Amino acid sequence: MQEPVFSYVPGTSFLHTLDPRTKLAAVMLLGILVFRTESFFGIGVIFALFIALASFTGLPTGIFFRAVRPMLLFIIFIFLAQLFFTEGKVLASFWILQPSIEGLQNGLRLSARFILLLLFAALMTASTDPSAITCGIERILRPLPLRWLGVNSYELATMMNISIAFLPLLFERVERTKAAQASRGMYFGRNPFHSVPALVIPLIRGIVRDAEELALAMESRGYQGTRRTSMHELLMQKRDWASLFALVFFAALLLRF
Amino acid sequence: MIRFENVSYNYPDGTPALRNINMGIRKGEYIGIIGKNGSGKSTMSLHLNGLLRPQKGKVMVRGMDTGDFSKLQGIRKIVGIVFQNPETQFVGRTVEEDLAFGPENLCLPPMEIRRRVNRALAETGLEKYRYHSPKSLSGGQGQCVALAGVLAMEPECLVFDEVTSMLDPDSGKTVLERVKRLHEKGKTIVYITHNLEELHAADRIIVMDRGRIVLEGKPENVLSDPSLRALGLTPPSLIELAEHLKNHGVAVPWEKTSCPSSFAEEICRLFLKM
Ligand SMILES: Nc1ncnc2c1ncn2[C@@H]1O[C@H](COP(=O)(O)OP(=O)(O)OP(=O)(O)O)[C@@H](O)[C@H]1O
Ligand SMILES: [Mg+2]
Repeated sequence: MQEPVFSYVPGTSFLHTLDPRTKLAAVMLLGILVFRTESFFGIGVIFALFIALASFTGLPTGIFFRAVRPMLLFIIFIFLAQLFFTEGKVLASFWILQPSIEGLQNGLRLSARFILLLLFAALMTASTDPSAITCGIERILRPLPLRWLGVNSYELATMMNISIAFLPLLFERVERTKAAQASRGMYFGRNPFHSVPALVIPLIRGIVRDAEELALAMESRGYQGTRRTSMHELLMQKRDWASLFALVFFAALLLRF
Repeated sequence: MIRFENVSYNYPDGTPALRNINMGIRKGEYIGIIGKNGSGKSTMSLHLNGLLRPQKGKVMVRGMDTGDFSKLQGIRKIVGIVFQNPETQFVGRTVEEDLAFGPENLCLPPMEIRRRVNRALAETGLEKYRYHSPKSLSGGQGQCVALAGVLAMEPECLVFDEVTSMLDPDSGKTVLERVKRLHEKGKTIVYITHNLEELHAADRIIVMDRGRIVLEGKPENVLSDPSLRALGLTPPSLIELAEHLKNHGVAVPWEKTSCPSSFAEEICRLFLKM
């Protein structure tokens, strides 16, 4: 089986025991911090913070870097765009491309920021049970007037959970429908105008049926889309507040310099 | 504990699925429901905990009317359904999370949810898969997760709708054993199937055809009823064999028809007596 990129690794480290809300807030705070820090020294300090936090989890640091891989192309693109399209002192000249020193700096800075953001997100997902994350989001959203959007925070959280659980089923269905149609003599890839409807119609029919069955099973287990509790006990403890306070202090210090 | 009173139901497209059903299910009973495709078995099962509500007549679960919306949650606490396809019953990314879904809907406190999840895991022997994705499990294990998800709600009555039809015979047997054990522990069981062999241990069998109950009684009477074939059902081969032997004057007692080995033993015993 392919190993998922942002996956949870059960454990008992300090980071594991923090409230998911603390970690969500920390990732947001760090995200802001990363994009407000201009100097390479500052970025280096944040990177050091990441290494320190990662070592807290007791997990090999390498697994966090895996989170960067799927975004690598995007990051390289950003780097090159900055490198070549920033006005400034010309470094060298290749044909019509003229990389500048400012471009190099901007490119490095921006890609470092994205990488750091991904690393911190990976740190959170590796040390937090995914359903605890949704539960945390639900609790953060609960006071918001989502009613105006026609949903409540419970429905939103369940939707997030279900869609993640349901997605693999969807892909499986695509494959199955493809195989079924192929065995009836359909060729794929030849003429997409022909094959797409033949694929999509039974596919949608299948998905609707799956969704109906799922909805019945959910309702049968008492789901009403109203208030529900969670297995995860969310309690902001002293260490949560202490961690957040330390992080804010760290951010303030870094932004001063 | 469950009562159907003159229940009729038509699907929105006009298909009549249940026609004037009257029946009762007692606490602790093990009921088998059989009938060919489209005879209304699933429709009936969906009425058992108010997933469908009758258009005529009413369904009462421990004195609560399934038509009364304020009672629905209470009814679903009492009657849980395990469906045919394990895959479309999973709502969690991990087994543990999936089992927590029901108790979470019942608004239980986190401690109690954990206790129930652990208990359901232990009861179905799924502890080692706690953090696995339900989708990564085999069909039989998947059906166990679905069962555990219902058990975590601690219902009195469990409904199984063709739960073995997507499993290989071995996993099917394991699931069936589990059902029997739950019955021994005092749960009320409603077991829907196409496979009549699975109903040997039932207390009572209900045969459905075109939305009606056409036959009802003890397995020894129903499974050997001559009208089964006409209703599109195949009687278990051992029972059919016993019927033929009876016509030739050889009586094999009902208890011995449950499996080939006991049947063979009985035949040998009869031979030696002759
Ligand atoms: N969602 C639906 N919409 C319309 N008609 C339906 C629907 N579900 C079932 N039916 C029809 O209602 C009748 C009874 O169906 P039901 O699913 O209860 O039968 P069943 O005994 O469970 O069959 P099977 O053995 O195939 O599971 C059938 O004629 C069927 O075609
Ligand atoms: Mg059915």
